[in-house]
Amino acid sequence: MISRLFTHRTRGFRTLNVVLASVLLVTAVGVNLAKTVAGKERTEIGRAERDIARERDRIRVLEAEVAHLEQPERLERLSRAFLAMAPVTAKQETTADDLIAVASRRPGAAPQPVAIPASAPVVATAPGDSHAPGEEGQ
Amino acid sequence: MSLSDLTPQRYPFLWRWVIEHVWRIEHAFERAQADGRAENDTRIRILVVAAVFSLGFVVMAAGAVWSATLSDAGKGGRAYAGAPKRADLVDREGRLLAANLTHYTLSIDTREVWSRRETRAALLKALPRLKPSQLDRALKAEKRGLVMRGLTPAEKERIHALGLPGVVFDPEQRRVYPLGALAAHLLGYDEKGGAPVAGAEKALEAEILKAGDEGRPVALSIDVRVQAALEEELALAAAEFQPKGAVGVITNVHTGEILGVASWPDFDPNHPGRATPEQLRNRAAASVFEMGSTFKAFTVAIGLDTHVATPDSTFDATQPLKMGYRTIHDFHGTNRILTLREVFNHSSNIGTAKLALAVGADRMARYFHALGLTKRAQVELLESTRPLTPKKWDEDDMASVSFGHGINVSPLALAQAMGAILNGGELVPLTIRKQVPGYRPKGERVMSEQTTMSMLQIMRDNVVNGTGRKADAPGLMVGGKTGTGEKYDPEIRGYSNYKQVGSFAAVFPTDGPVDAERYFVLILMDEPQGGVRTGGWVAAPAVGRIVDRIAPFLGVKRRQPDPALMQTPTYVATARLATPGGAR
Repeated sequence: MISRLFTHRTRGFRTLNVVLASVLLVTAVGVNLAKTVAGKERTEIGRAERDIARERDRIRVLEAEVAHLEQPERLERLSRAFLAMAPVTAKQETTADDLIAVASRRPGAAPQPVAIPASAPVVATAPGDSHAPGEEGQ
Repeated sequence: MSLSDLTPQRYPFLWRWVIEHVWRIEHAFERAQADGRAENDTRIRILVVAAVFSLGFVVMAAGAVWSATLSDAGKGGRAYAGAPKRADLVDREGRLLAANLTHYTLSIDTREVWSRRETRAALLKALPRLKPSQLDRALKAEKRGLVMRGLTPAEKERIHALGLPGVVFDPEQRRVYPLGALAAHLLGYDEKGGAPVAGAEKALEAEILKAGDEGRPVALSIDVRVQAALEEELALAAAEFQPKGAVGVITNVHTGEILGVASWPDFDPNHPGRATPEQLRNRAAASVFEMGSTFKAFTVAIGLDTHVATPDSTFDATQPLKMGYRTIHDFHGTNRILTLREVFNHSSNIGTAKLALAVGADRMARYFHALGLTKRAQVELLESTRPLTPKKWDEDDMASVSFGHGINVSPLALAQAMGAILNGGELVPLTIRKQVPGYRPKGERVMSEQTTMSMLQIMRDNVVNGTGRKADAPGLMVGGKTGTGEKYDPEIRGYSNYKQVGSFAAVFPTDGPVDAERYFVLILMDEPQGGVRTGGWVAAPAVGRIVDRIAPFLGVKRRQPDPALMQTPTYVATARLATPGGAR
């Protein structure tokens, strides 16, 4: 059996030699191809990594620019100049419950509703109606 | 497993198996020779040799394939490397304060330049800030000449687009402070070579490098909005009173976090070389001052804590107090008997000195040591400097120290000690690092919680009825103490009536339980100009404005809003001046 393996010939060439040479050739070509493909991919990866690094750098520059543009002093200056805004003072703060009291002091605001005794005559007046009862139709 | 593990001692059966088979093959050759089949002997030998070589070849082929396709070897990291990567510095809300950005060094390889004249003209046009002499030097170099450092990416792109032969760019890391002068003294700056020399950059250098490796930022304790309000009001006050220098400090009394710290005049850390030494000096940490009457807060607190006095104890301030060769007077003389509360409100030197004498020099000295007033402020900043303290703590010196004379401390040391009397009595180190929410460090107990509660009331009373009225901010329950210290003038070899330090040390809000969120604010003017130079005049108004502005950022709500105060036509319920991140 073993001696056949060494003596068998195909078209004059020992079969074993042909097989081994083929294996050698296939392996060499395979390694070469793998290396070539991997090299291309590696180049692509390297390029992508450089792009990512560049992009990150750009993002960092933009972040720094945003921080620079959002300087509180600059925003305040722009707000005062273009929006007429200023820091809120105590006079401009209130609670939601006190909004009615604030609204009632506006010029031309309707008088605050007052409790009406049950026996008194009910006169309906629309908010903002400047006519006194009795003036209607005059 | 390594080859060293395959020792005969470790695997005796394996060695026995190998030796047996080698001998079996050898015996096969010998048997073949003995049987007269020499050709078989040769073939077997060839087979064995071929098998061994084939096996080796297959192993190498497999290794080559693995190495070519799967291995990480040789892949490398970033496309280029600059200086050691330092982490970003951000404020407590994550806003960028300092960052490493890639800049470029521009060089010219004269061997590749085809027209020096055209290259020169093109570069000067594309880069207006480039000095012609600098470029000429580089163009005269035999090989490669340095033209300019620190090109921004935009400048680099502009020159790159010209397609000039021989122009070379080398990337470099440069520290950038996008907010300019904001918090400059806290952040610090780099020297020309890129090494940090001051501020957080120096104090946290190792931490910043480590965080840089890990790709995370380092969060500082300051809030950019608080810092901006502090700096703006400090600059306004400085413009009004023209001092030699000015300081502002805002801390959280419970955590010791520095929420804002400013030293005037300031500088741009992007260009520290353009600043004068006066601008570079961090007066909050590296300068010491005779604080004057703000120290009365310590003396009164000590008197209460030792039970020597209560807020209603009385002190005779009808006559100046004679101490050996000198006499202690009151600046705001009342010439009457004062309660301790009135001593504080009228800032009576006589009453305070009498209280200190009643406490005793030894006990006073022990308290001052415990409050950290005889040591440098405990804070990461390396600039934090030692105080100038009396050589001996006898009654005479203690009487002076009780109202802030004869002892020089840094504003940060004052802030740390004030924290102890306002936070429930524990001396908490200051910190420039952001702490986690709910952080409450366990400091050394100096005073009782009851003393803190009494001091909060007394300081509030001083703002309502005393010398600190100008520091009040509606509904924010500000308390505080004015301070006016005379400076020693070497020219007259004595204390000057004209060179003074005016300050105001405030706390807000003063109501609520002892562990309620509470903040300390200090404004100090060094040698303010003008007719009135007292702390109540030059510093207290700025404190009031600062408290009014920063309270929303710190989540402090106004107490009992008075609708009568409101202006109806310009009423704004919720709108706030736009700042990054909005109000908390």
